Amino acid sequence: MKKDIIITLLIIMLCAVFVLTTDFKTVEEYYLENAENIKEGDATVFISIRCDAIFDNAEKLEPDLWEFVPEDGVILAKTEYVLRDGDTVFDILVRAAKTHRIQMEYSGSPEARTTYIEGISHVYEFSCGELSGWSFLVNGELTQVGASAYKLSDGDVIEWVYTCDLSRDILQGGGTNE
Amino acid sequence: MNRNDIAFARFHPTVLFFYFFCLILFTVFTQNPVLLLSALCGGILFCAVTNTAKKNLAAAKLYVPMFLLVSMTNPIFSHSGATPLFFMNDNPVTLEALLCGVDLAVQVCAVMLICGAFSRVMESDKLLALFGKLSPRLATVLSMALRFIPLLKRKWGEICEAQRALGYFREESFFDRIASYARVFSALVTWALESSVDTAASMSARGYELAGKKHFSLFRFTRGDGIMLALTTALSAVTLFGILLGKADFDFYPRISEINTDIFAIITYAAFGTLALLPFIFEVKEALKWKYLRSKI
Repeated sequence: MKKDIIITLLIIMLCAVFVLTTDFKTVEEYYLENAENIKEGDATVFISIRCDAIFDNAEKLEPDLWEFVPEDGVILAKTEYVLRDGDTVFDILVRAAKTHRIQMEYSGSPEARTTYIEGISHVYEFSCGELSGWSFLVNGELTQVGASAYKLSDGDVIEWVYTCDLSRDILQGGGTNE
Repeated sequence: MNRNDIAFARFHPTVLFFYFFCLILFTVFTQNPVLLLSALCGGILFCAVTNTAKKNLAAAKLYVPMFLLVSMTNPIFSHSGATPLFFMNDNPVTLEALLCGVDLAVQVCAVMLICGAFSRVMESDKLLALFGKLSPRLATVLSMALRFIPLLKRKWGEICEAQRALGYFREESFFDRIASYARVFSALVTWALESSVDTAASMSARGYELAGKKHFSLFRFTRGDGIMLALTTALSAVTLFGILLGKADFDFYPRISEINTDIFAIITYAAFGTLALLPFIFEVKEALKWKYLRSKI
């Protein structure tokens, strides 16, 4: 009996650790966390999200998804955000998704710097052909690391771009800076 | 349970195999909740009328937690969907994922129930009669694989008793019991591997796979079998036609699609519903017939 109690307590503790380390929020709480206003002299970065590559491969897109694709392909126009200390590309994306109520799903963990963005605004990887997915450019260049491993500095320009051809179409089209 | 206890099992093996093949095929390859629910209803009702109450209760103890587990797991790992309920580590837990999980759980339970019914209705002699001519090797493998579950259950009981008699089986604490069962399980797996190799070796030593070997079987194709086969074929054809025409299409992401209710879709649902409920209807019909005839004597 003693053993039963000890092991049951251990299992309850494990469950408690799991629940406590998980961050639960209601929908309202989640979207209420706004970014702070930009003050004079703050370090800032810019972020934009677009999926115009879909229009070149329109026949490949799952038909249900058209209602989530904006007419000009711009999900979020270039927006300025305050750069907090240690912010990564992923942090800025989460903040932008919250303030603009954009649906976003990732896998992996931000703490372990292994996040992978599966979908933004219901447009997911593989939604538009088998080579499609989300990738990002910083200052017009593709990076060699994931979104949560890329530390930003003042004035950086992030572009989240939907590719339908394994990022090759991004390089050909070029970022907005080029 | 004896073959004669289940009226549906008296059909010719070909008919039974074709019926279960169609039913399982449709259940596995559709996402439509109407079709899946009718498959689940068919499975539950057939098990309810052919099993004892005790066995039904034991099955419910397995299926209800599994149903809950499968339906809860999907929303934790799949965050797609347009209606967030709450957020977990900044990932949304959505209504669509939850309902998709329930749908998956219905599918898993339905397939398991139908497979359970299949194994009770198709004993090894039927499978051998069916596949023996085509491929003796396939027939052996199939009959051995399907025999495994009841065989393992029996052996499990035997090993438990032996361990109890030897005083190895500790039952005072819940976790001691789990440890004891784990030991029984490991013995069971070892025995199962060895015995299946033994069986295979023994069967080939007796010339089971030799060419020209003939099988004796008692099954004759009667008029009733013909009617059943025609009915199954007709219902399956209508269902297949409906599914191929996209009448039973259903999507959960990003928004749940509406259940198709045009006339062709309803015909598809009705055909599949009848197909899924056939064994139950037949079972009830035979039971009523028996009762009616007996009371007249």
